[in-house]
Amino acid sequence: MKFKLIYPRWEKLKGQTTFNLPPHGPVAFAATLPEDVEVSFTDENVEDIDFDETCDLVGISMMLSTQVQRGWELATRFREQGKQVVFGGIATMLHAEETALHADAIFLGEAEGRSGQVMEDWKQGSLKKVYNYMGRHPAIEEVGPARRDLYKRELYNHKGVQMVDLFHASRGCRFSCYPCAVSYLGGRVFRPRPMDKVIEELAGIENNRLFVVDNSLAQNKEWEKELFREMIPFKKKWISHTIEDDPEILDLAARAGAWYVYQAVYDTSDYIKERVKRYHDHGIGVEGTILLGLDNQTEDDIKRLVDFLLEIDLDLAEFTIMTPFPHTKGYDDFLREGRIFDFDWNHYNAGQVVFHPRHMSAERLQELYDYAWETFYRDESQESKMFRLFCNVALREMNEGTYRPRDRRLVNRSFGKEVVRKIVTN
Amino acid sequence: MKVPETYYDELFHFKGQWDIPSTCGLKIIDKGDRKVIIVTELYQDNPGTSVTAAGPLLAGQVRAAKGLGDAPVTYIECNPGTNSKLSFYDEDYFEVSFGDAPAYRRLTREEVNALFEKP
Repeated sequence: MKFKLIYPRWEKLKGQTTFNLPPHGPVAFAATLPEDVEVSFTDENVEDIDFDETCDLVGISMMLSTQVQRGWELATRFREQGKQVVFGGIATMLHAEETALHADAIFLGEAEGRSGQVMEDWKQGSLKKVYNYMGRHPAIEEVGPARRDLYKRELYNHKGVQMVDLFHASRGCRFSCYPCAVSYLGGRVFRPRPMDKVIEELAGIENNRLFVVDNSLAQNKEWEKELFREMIPFKKKWISHTIEDDPEILDLAARAGAWYVYQAVYDTSDYIKERVKRYHDHGIGVEGTILLGLDNQTEDDIKRLVDFLLEIDLDLAEFTIMTPFPHTKGYDDFLREGRIFDFDWNHYNAGQVVFHPRHMSAERLQELYDYAWETFYRDESQESKMFRLFCNVALREMNEGTYRPRDRRLVNRSFGKEVVRKIVTN
Repeated sequence: MKVPETYYDELFHFKGQWDIPSTCGLKIIDKGDRKVIIVTELYQDNPGTSVTAAGPLLAGQVRAAKGLGDAPVTYIECNPGTNSKLSFYDEDYFEVSFGDAPAYRRLTREEVNALFEKP
C-alpha cells in the first residue's frame, strides 16, 4: 500500500527568517504506520506536489492554523481525482469540525498503536469519518524514533548548511498558558518518554544540530537533569524552549550542548533581565519570543518593551501578535467579549491582527508589530545576529572536534532552489 | 492557577467536544422562579474542553444530570479569579444564551453580587 503524506505550505511572516526546518509531526506519524505501508513524503514548503504520483491513500498533516485552508484545497483536488484523503496533526485537532467537511477521514489524537487501524479500514473499504482518540493518549513508551529517512535532505539545506533536526523527549505540558493550545492537544500532564527511548532516538540522528521541540523543558527538575546528563556524550548542539532557571540545570544544559533557547519576554522586569543574563553566563544564547497585543499592554508598554529588549542584549527576538487560536483561553475570552473580527484561518499566522485589542486599535497594533521588528533589528540585521549565533556554535563544535564543514555541493542552493546572489560591481 | 473551591459546590464531569472527558465547577442557585446554573472553568484541573468551547453541549448535560428538563434557567459561565499576577485570570461572569450561536453578556459587579444574595 502506498501512502502519500503531505505537509501543506503556508505563507511565512514578514520579518521572520525564511529557514525551512524539516517538520516533525509528519515523520512522527509515519513512524507509527505498519511496515507494509510505503510512505512518500512531500513538504510543500520546499517542493511542489506531484499530483500524478501513484498512491493509494493521501494523508495531510497540518501543524498550523494557517495551513488548514491549503490542506483543504489539496484534499479537494485529490478527491476530485478519486483519491481518499485522511487528515491528522495538531491543526486538524484544532479545526476538526471544519476539516471533516473536506476529508474522507480525520484522525484526532496521537497515532501510536492506532494508525494501523486506519490503513486496515482503508484496505477493507470501510474508512471511518472520524478516528477520535482525543484525550486518550497512548502509552508514552510506544513513541518510537521518527521516520527521518523520509526527508529529502538537500531541501533542508541553506547554502551548504544543514538545518537542525527536530526531536522530542516528552509530550504534554503541566502549564496552561494563556495563548497556548498545547494543554488541549497534548494533555495537561507532562509525559516524559522513557530515557532509553530518548537515547535510542538521539543515537539514530545523524545531524549534530537539533531543535528539541518539547513544549518546555522546565517541567520536572530531576527529569531535566537526567535528560541533559544523558545528552552530554552525544556532543550535539541544540535549540530548545525554556530551560529551568536553576544554576545546576543551566550548567548541565550547557554541557549537554544547549545552543540557544526561546525565552518568552513578557515584561521589563529585573527578573527577565537576570534570566537572560544567567543563560548568557552559561554560554547559552537567547531568542526572545515577544507576544504583542495582550490585554495588559498599552502602546507605551510595547515601545518600552522593545527598548528593554535592546538593553538586555538578546541575541535574537521574534515578535508575534496575540492570536486567539481555537481551544485557548485567549480564544474563549475574546469570543465571549465579541472581539474577534476575523475568522479567516489564513490570517491566524501570529503576524496579523484578527481581534480588537483592549488598549489600541487593531491597525495601531499592526503598526506596532512592524515597529518592533524594525526597531529591534535597526542597528544589526536579523541575518547578522543569526550569523553571530551560528559562529558561536561553529566555534564550540570546532573546539570539540564535531564541526562539519558546509556541503560545498550545495553552496549555491537554498532549500532546493538556486541562490540568486546580488553581486555589486564598480 | 488553582481555582478556589469556593467558586463551586461540586465538580461536574462531562463529555466535551469529541467526547473528551472534561470537568468544570458547578453551582446551581435556586432563585424561586428559575434556577441559575453557574459553570466554572477549572483551567489546569479541567483535562478536556473549556466551559466556553463546550457551550451548549455542557449546558445540555447539566440540565440532564440535574433533572432540570425544560425548566427556566439562567446559564452563566464563570472565569474564576486565580490570584494569578496575570490579569487574564481575573474573575469574570458571563450570562450565555444559546441560539444559532452562543451570545454572551458580561455581568456587572452588582449583578454578580445579586446572584449570591439570599432571598
